[in-house]
Amino acid sequence: MSERENILLEVRQCSKSFPGVKAFNKVDFDLYKGEVHCVVGENGAGKTTFIKMLSGALHPDEGTIIIGGKEYSHLNPALAHELGIQTIYQELSLAQDLTVAENIFVGNWPTNRLGLVSFEELYKQARMLLDSLKIDLDVQALVRTLNVPQKQSVQIAKAMAIEAKIFILDEPTAAYSTNEINNLLGLVKKCAENGVGVIYISHHLEEVFDIHDRITVLRDGNKVATHGKKEVSSEEIIREMVGRDVSKFYTREKADIDWAEAVEFQDFSDGGSVLGVSFKVHKGEILGFAGMVGSGRTELTRLIFGADSRISGTTIVEGRKVGINSPREAINEGFACLTEDRQKTGMILQHSVEWNTMLAHLNNSRGIFINEKLESKNVRQYVKSLDIKTPSIKQIVKNLSGGNQQKVVLAKWLYANAKIIIFDEPTRGIDIGSKEEIYKAMVELAKQGKYILMISSDMPELIAMCDRIVVMKKGKIAKVLDKEEISEENILTYSIGGTL
Amino acid sequence: MKDALVRSKKVANWKNKGNKSVLYLLVIIICAIIVMSLLDPKFFTARNLLNILNQQSTLGIATIGVAIAMISGCIDLTVGNLLACTAAIAALLLNAEVGVVWVILLTCISGLAAGFVNGLIVVKTKIDTFIATLGLMSVYQGLALIIPGGNNIYLRGKLASFGTYRVAGQIPIPVFYFIIVAIIAYFVMRYFKFGRRLYSIGGNPETAFLAGINLDRNRIGAYAISGFLASFTSLIVISRIGQSQPAMGVAYPLEAIAAAVIGGVALSGGRGSIPGVFLGVILLGLIRNSLNILRVQSFYQYVMLGVVIVIAVTLSNLGSRKKV
Repeated sequence: MSERENILLEVRQCSKSFPGVKAFNKVDFDLYKGEVHCVVGENGAGKTTFIKMLSGALHPDEGTIIIGGKEYSHLNPALAHELGIQTIYQELSLAQDLTVAENIFVGNWPTNRLGLVSFEELYKQARMLLDSLKIDLDVQALVRTLNVPQKQSVQIAKAMAIEAKIFILDEPTAAYSTNEINNLLGLVKKCAENGVGVIYISHHLEEVFDIHDRITVLRDGNKVATHGKKEVSSEEIIREMVGRDVSKFYTREKADIDWAEAVEFQDFSDGGSVLGVSFKVHKGEILGFAGMVGSGRTELTRLIFGADSRISGTTIVEGRKVGINSPREAINEGFACLTEDRQKTGMILQHSVEWNTMLAHLNNSRGIFINEKLESKNVRQYVKSLDIKTPSIKQIVKNLSGGNQQKVVLAKWLYANAKIIIFDEPTRGIDIGSKEEIYKAMVELAKQGKYILMISSDMPELIAMCDRIVVMKKGKIAKVLDKEEISEENILTYSIGGTL
Repeated sequence: MKDALVRSKKVANWKNKGNKSVLYLLVIIICAIIVMSLLDPKFFTARNLLNILNQQSTLGIATIGVAIAMISGCIDLTVGNLLACTAAIAALLLNAEVGVVWVILLTCISGLAAGFVNGLIVVKTKIDTFIATLGLMSVYQGLALIIPGGNNIYLRGKLASFGTYRVAGQIPIPVFYFIIVAIIAYFVMRYFKFGRRLYSIGGNPETAFLAGINLDRNRIGAYAISGFLASFTSLIVISRIGQSQPAMGVAYPLEAIAAAVIGGVALSGGRGSIPGVFLGVILLGLIRNSLNILRVQSFYQYVMLGVVIVIAVTLSNLGSRKKV
């Protein structure tokens, strides 16, 4: 039973439900001393729920968490901290204007006889710790002056300093260069060698294969399998991650695509999260964008919509080159963008349906007055044609359901005469009935000859809706899948597997 | 059942549209008037009520400008010292024998230009508007001393009727200015696209930006209006007191913000109405006037005024407050 002694953490039959979804379903999981246990899964497979349960932010509905031989029905943040569980975030939780050394030993600074902080001792201890972890940093540097990977290593050092036993790293390498990734992986291995148990969550299979002792695959809140070192290939992992029944999903009507007419985007870059992306969307086509969180899809839409400044990028609408440097100019060219976070960036919550619907049209129409009668009439038409359920057009949008809010955002863009429409996660947080209505509206728009870009992390939805799918990875296009090539397996293979 | 639901939602909407604070204010004002009328018969006379309106007209006009900036999410602290600057400009022009119409025009243009510059500085530097206008406030304080060489400038009867004329021998003309400015501002904020844009920017700048609204241009516009109204106010003030003083108007920015907030304007922007602001200004005047009539010592008046402001804002925010 020597293994028993080395066990740091055991999760037994843990479940967690949210309204409408079983986010985590009777999962067993364990973690040994000195082990790197990787967790992989699609977006929405339950990884975030898992972390939140371990860090105490969420309480499991059932099951137990066993740490150091003691059983807990749930944790809370203070308890998790006390038990030595440390979640390493990319930037949070460091004091920007203190030095590296001060941050590492925060609250625990060595003092001299007068009870004041002994900086000499502090720097000495910090340097020793950083040396032992082979982190090359000036202990007297202000954290503010460090880049993200450096800040992350400071956090790891900080966690080591308080002798935490369990590290959780969630997508730690988003937007890192190869070199920075290798440094981080080295550091994680070093920590494991010192007896720490690491839970490592990542979309990037190369990293996972580089670092893992074991891999657990999650799918739709269920544990599919746990594999030991060198037991599986990346193909097998991908096969385990997919497997949702797509055939049961929404079947859309066909729209005729006019392949002769296109909107072309050439060489879009912002120097960081989007790197030289070129693609075309055709009249009547729904072009999908797949990729993991952090692959640069949302950043790309903001770039083509003129909301962020770009390094390069040319837009050609139906053969005509257009200059787009602001959302205003984009809207004038017929662009529309239904943003990912509709409450924060798609609508003004304290204003009415009418107000929100006419928001973009406001700038498109002539004159300085608002013709209230005419506007109300037009808004009512959109409310009717999109079947927005609201007691009146004066209703505050905050009081509408997610689905109806999304329809108001869509109405806003249709009213502004949009023909190139970007849907970023159009059905996130929307009930099933409204989802279908949004799909119907999208297909209807395609049939009317609009150009549609659809970003979604819901893979069955993407597969059901799209005519072609652009797979993005680390800010670049990994592959454009034609209709007959579209499959969950292909999308995953290109978005997480292989090398770039 | 469903009808009742729809009706209750309609009421909720109506309240939500900022009318709620207008309603509360009206109730508070009526209560205050009733209480004061019972306490002292001198209070409820046409003469006294007109006096209150007249007293508040200058602060009122400046407050409307400040409120418009606030609705777009911007604080404007410059109005007081800017007002002293344009007062000095007007006084110097009058003493240089420039025609009255030209003086009025040039003063207002200088206020408009100063407001435009304020707006430009705020949007281009992207400093928090409170801090940026705090700095600018000091600049105008200096200019208000520099322009007239640190002196009071006497008008010697010029421009006197601009601020003291009584329509039909009864109603002081500044009351009309205040009401006319309020009505115009109401229409601009309610029926002009410009007004709608300001509300949208204040309500959610990111959404407004993505809907194609030019944030900078509209905010500069709001500051320009605020500057313009401050300069117009300065004309009334110098006409009344017969001179320009470098230190005049220093209390304006905070009083204006207080009046606007009492009137239901959100400090964070996007919420508030001109009728509300109008009533907020009236309420402040009413309180001050009441305290005078009740012969409360001026030292204590400040304390009372502060307490009343806090109570009034708390009442007018009732129900819309978040738990946290």
